[in-house]
Amino acid sequence: MPALMMQPDLSNVVVSGPVRTAALTAWQQQGWPGPRVESWRFTKLDRLAAREITPASSLSTATAGDGLAMAAGMGAHAIQIVNGVIDPASLEGLPAGVTAGNLSDDQGAQDAMMALAPPNHPVSNLSMAVMSGGLVLDVVGEVARPLMLIFEGDDASLSAHPVVLIRLAPAARMVMAEWHQSAVALSAPLIGLDLAAKASLDFVKIQSEGSTTSHLAATGVSLAGEARLTGFSLSVGGEMARLETHVTMAGEGADCQLSAIYLGRGRQHHDITTVLNHDIGHCTSDQVIRGVLDDRARGVYQGKVRVAEDAQKTDGQQMSRALLLSRKAEVDAKPELEIYADDVVCAHGATVGELDATQLFYLTSRGIPEAKARAMLIEAFLIDAIDSVEIDNLAQILRETATRWMAQTGLTTDGNQHG
Amino acid sequence: MTALLEIRDLHASVGDTPILKGINLTLNAGEVHAIMGPNGSGKSTMSYVLAGRNGYEITGGDVLINGESVLELSPDERARAGMFLAFQYPVELPGVGGMSFLRAAVNARRVEAGEEEVDQLAFVKMVRAKAGELDINDDMLKRAVNVGFSGGEKKRYEILQMALLEPTISILDETDSGLDVDALKIVSDGVNMLRAPERTMLVITHYQRLLNHIVPDHVHILAGGKIRKSGGKELALQVEETGYAGIDDAA
Ligand SMILES: Nc1ncnc2c1ncn2[C@@H]1O[C@H](COP(=O)(O)OP(=O)(O)O)[C@@H](O)[C@H]1O
Ligand SMILES: [Mg+2]
Repeated sequence: MPALMMQPDLSNVVVSGPVRTAALTAWQQQGWPGPRVESWRFTKLDRLAAREITPASSLSTATAGDGLAMAAGMGAHAIQIVNGVIDPASLEGLPAGVTAGNLSDDQGAQDAMMALAPPNHPVSNLSMAVMSGGLVLDVVGEVARPLMLIFEGDDASLSAHPVVLIRLAPAARMVMAEWHQSAVALSAPLIGLDLAAKASLDFVKIQSEGSTTSHLAATGVSLAGEARLTGFSLSVGGEMARLETHVTMAGEGADCQLSAIYLGRGRQHHDITTVLNHDIGHCTSDQVIRGVLDDRARGVYQGKVRVAEDAQKTDGQQMSRALLLSRKAEVDAKPELEIYADDVVCAHGATVGELDATQLFYLTSRGIPEAKARAMLIEAFLIDAIDSVEIDNLAQILRETATRWMAQTGLTTDGNQHG
Repeated sequence: MTALLEIRDLHASVGDTPILKGINLTLNAGEVHAIMGPNGSGKSTMSYVLAGRNGYEITGGDVLINGESVLELSPDERARAGMFLAFQYPVELPGVGGMSFLRAAVNARRVEAGEEEVDQLAFVKMVRAKAGELDINDDMLKRAVNVGFSGGEKKRYEILQMALLEPTISILDETDSGLDVDALKIVSDGVNMLRAPERTMLVITHYQRLLNHIVPDHVHILAGGKIRKSGGKELALQVEETGYAGIDDAA
């Protein structure tokens, strides 16, 4: 491995215990994947790998992001993670039904985390090894108050490696959000969601990192029988972002709705990668992915649905649509079905296009100025997807973030300035 | 007197195919004109060209509103100059809320006229009143534009927009297609209410029956991209009897 590839610099990181040591070894052997690794063909890491960065090790004060206000707005308990380090004070007064534990000295939980984590993924290994902060949240019963994990950070020479394992006991129910808004060089959260039978989780993630941050997230999910996950990610910040989620349907009747929106401008790069493993039959999964790209932004959607030989009566759907607002914007969409069972209903599709000319004509023929008509259609494209989020609080922060992006991109639906 | 809408020797092509081959029409204030013609004769193309849709090459002639050429104007500018097109196939806009769509259209017109934008509450009242007359219920108003509407509902929604925008020049492209007898009556009543001395209408239809309800002052037969014959409302009855073939021969 060339020295150039071995960033971040781990010389001062102390790695203890067999799970983390094994992860470190795997990281040191594999490093950052190069362009020849098929699943990283569209997302190149050479710029990131060339930056000199060191993992954060101690807690610093939180920066003034929007996370706390967002959490307050939705009445959520906020857990603050700064430069990848968990603020212990924010673990006090957790909602009833939620218990926090320390992942860094819990071998069993680390094992469980690695079983969930995307396999052979650089972030699975690197962040498990470094673990700038490690948290286990155990959830029982119906949690009345939403939880928000706020990931902040202000130091552009640092990498953040928080690892959070969330386990929902049978029939537990929770609403939670991840809010990412930092200025670190590399934000590399490793998140595990383990839902026991009949557990239910409504989940929103907002990636609103600073303009020079690389956000590489690895999320692993396991759904036991009749468990239900409704997840929605909005990727809007960062210089480069990859949100990779692996889901395993481990019990019959599990249901996974995974939606994502990416919004890019300038030279931003957004990658949404998902792997849905239908290991067992009678489960449903549905993925709705939407992207809007302006300027020279790039989008990547890789979605694999794998249906095991015995996983009959699987229903797996995925649909990706991207809107390009500029001729220089680009999308690579790669939906994939890998089906080994014969009695399944699976479908996938991907479209990339400009705004619909007929719709635009209809709006302008009513006197609506073209710029406003365009903004109305882009907003509709996004709101239409966000409207599938049933929890009002979660839909609200998604809508706000999307609307803010539109305003910053010069797309405004208010006012009638023309002529 | 200057005509509200004047079409002068209008020629238009799609790609290399000429579709409109020299149309002449003059619509004065207070007049209702009907255009009849077989399928494929160029009726919708003419309505799109008048409204300024992209994709047509104007190879000759002119279109004037109040004596001024509008060929250089964009669709929204033409609309704000008083033109309205009721689409033969109204367009679904998933995610675009009906009320915000209607309000955006009305406010665009108001801003152009130097008036205040209408406030939310007054607007809802205004829409409800007009919607009631067209048998459009609150549920339809709440939905995304044209999404999940039946064919008849879409046509009534076009007329609602027309009623709210109060255009001086209305072009109705086969607003009767897909309507049953009751819906035809509702739509026609809505259109007739907008007849006024300072306005004009161009009613495009394939069948004579609409013209029993919206009685035109002038009827024109369009075939092969040209007006073949013009007359009074009796011309429509003649078409009903002899079909377009007879008219075409006579031309
Ligand atoms: N976009 C287009 N591309 C090619 N041909 C077209 C297009 N639009 C209309 N045409 C042709 O122009 C002719 C007139 O069509 P149209 O205006 O829709 O007729 P009408 O409304 O009278 O039925 C038809 O022959 C039709 O096939
Ligand atoms: Mg037509």
